[in-house]
Amino acid sequence: MPQISTNEFKAGVKIELEGQPYTIVTNEFVKPGKGQSFNRVRIKHLITGRVIERTFKSGDKADLADVTETNMRLLYREADGVTFMDDNSFEQIKIPMESLGNTVQWLLDDVLYGIVSYNGVPVNVEPPTFMEMRIVDTAPGDRGNTASGRVLKPATTETGAKIQVPIFISQDELIKVDTRTGEYVSRVSESK
Amino acid sequence: MISSALSKNELLRDRSSMLKTARQFFYSKNILEVDCPAITQGASVDSHIDLIKVSSQNLKWRYLHSSPEYGMKRLIADGIGDIYQLSHVFRDGESSTKHNPEFMMAEWYRMDFSFEMMIQETIDFISLFLGKLPFRVMSYGQVFREYAGIDYFQASIDELLNYLTSNDVTPYPGVESEGKDAVLNLILGSLIEPKLGDNELFVLAYYPASQAALAKTRKLDGELVAERFEVYYRGIELANGYHELTDAVEQRARFLESNQFRSQLGKEQLPIDEYFLHALQKGFPDCSGVAVGFDRLMMLRHDCDIEKVIPFTWDKA
Repeated sequence: MPQISTNEFKAGVKIELEGQPYTIVTNEFVKPGKGQSFNRVRIKHLITGRVIERTFKSGDKADLADVTETNMRLLYREADGVTFMDDNSFEQIKIPMESLGNTVQWLLDDVLYGIVSYNGVPVNVEPPTFMEMRIVDTAPGDRGNTASGRVLKPATTETGAKIQVPIFISQDELIKVDTRTGEYVSRVSESK
Repeated sequence: MISSALSKNELLRDRSSMLKTARQFFYSKNILEVDCPAITQGASVDSHIDLIKVSSQNLKWRYLHSSPEYGMKRLIADGIGDIYQLSHVFRDGESSTKHNPEFMMAEWYRMDFSFEMMIQETIDFISLFLGKLPFRVMSYGQVFREYAGIDYFQASIDELLNYLTSNDVTPYPGVESEGKDAVLNLILGSLIEPKLGDNELFVLAYYPASQAALAKTRKLDGELVAERFEVYYRGIELANGYHELTDAVEQRARFLESNQFRSQLGKEQLPIDEYFLHALQKGFPDCSGVAVGFDRLMMLRHDCDIEKVIPFTWDKA
């Protein structure tokens, strides 16, 4: 298995530890006084998303995980899974619902997703960072409640995500969402 | 860390002016500037500092110095008196937002200077860059007691490892085979250092005798400790100073021990600087010395990473 040294540990590099795949989040080089240098590395489990911290002796190596990421377009959804297609090869794969994790709340037909495969098996589906979607349910804004700068209210999007939007957003409006945080970004104008 | 709002040229202008300020500091104290060679036949022997080798004409390896210490001490043995050197030093593989393998060191030695006087003068030097700051001195033993609740002298390796894991730090594989100092180093670097020197200069002094490097050792509260100190500000190490070891026999023994440990770590042994040991043998005056990271001071002065305060980093040099 190819290996990688701590000085090449960069955010996003995929390594395998104790048979589990991880993405490197941060890598800090520590050299106390005249002591052995080491690296404090925060890694995120590729499947569960859990972030842990490990120390490595500087210069030590870790196995590179066999992880590939391909962009595939969402074709259709069924009760037990979602089918994606590679735009270039037209290859289709069906990914079971339970492998989608948090992404289940960001599924929209015809959008390109990053399909992450570990040892050839799809393990994760990454939504685009910013997605446009319609608000399907939200209460009308309460105008009496605008004391502080930005007042938010709960809303549900067409993908089923429950998010907070400014009170001036009404039902059926198209908005942009940051899928990393689930935060409202902006209104999307529909002047086409 | 926040990046300085100043442009690269403004930062380099300030760097130039601080080099001048540093030289004025030494000049005002009658400390002589020297420029010992950066490339030497004998190596700076340190278990955990990796050197950059260069090949010279006669196909023998030479070494870029990791500090001008040995050369400066040869001059001191010859009776030159108080000296300083501002020079680039080299440590292979040390790259990060706070490290560059080639960096600027301000190093100086003072004759008949006590450990405490050396600490005070180091603080004065640092204040040229950071302004007047309060400082406090705490021993290594005290620091482990206060910041980790550990009696480092009594604690077993297993207890130290447990302390790490119960604080969410997973020790790297094999650290216990490198001995107690390696585990203490892991605790210091991951759980203590980041907390040192929040609003003051923090002087960590009296290291375990096993981490003496080139410092004299003495008894403190019944334990053998090294007269070695480091200065921290906002978790960043700024200086390393010693009441200097003057005993050539002891110095050779420490070199051999470091080399042996290097072998154990799978590193190559380094050629011992016989010129330096010979100078110690001839007779060496009582003195104290310190090395201060000039780039580190500039980083803290401008609240930014190292790449901002030097012309070019290693990967762009």
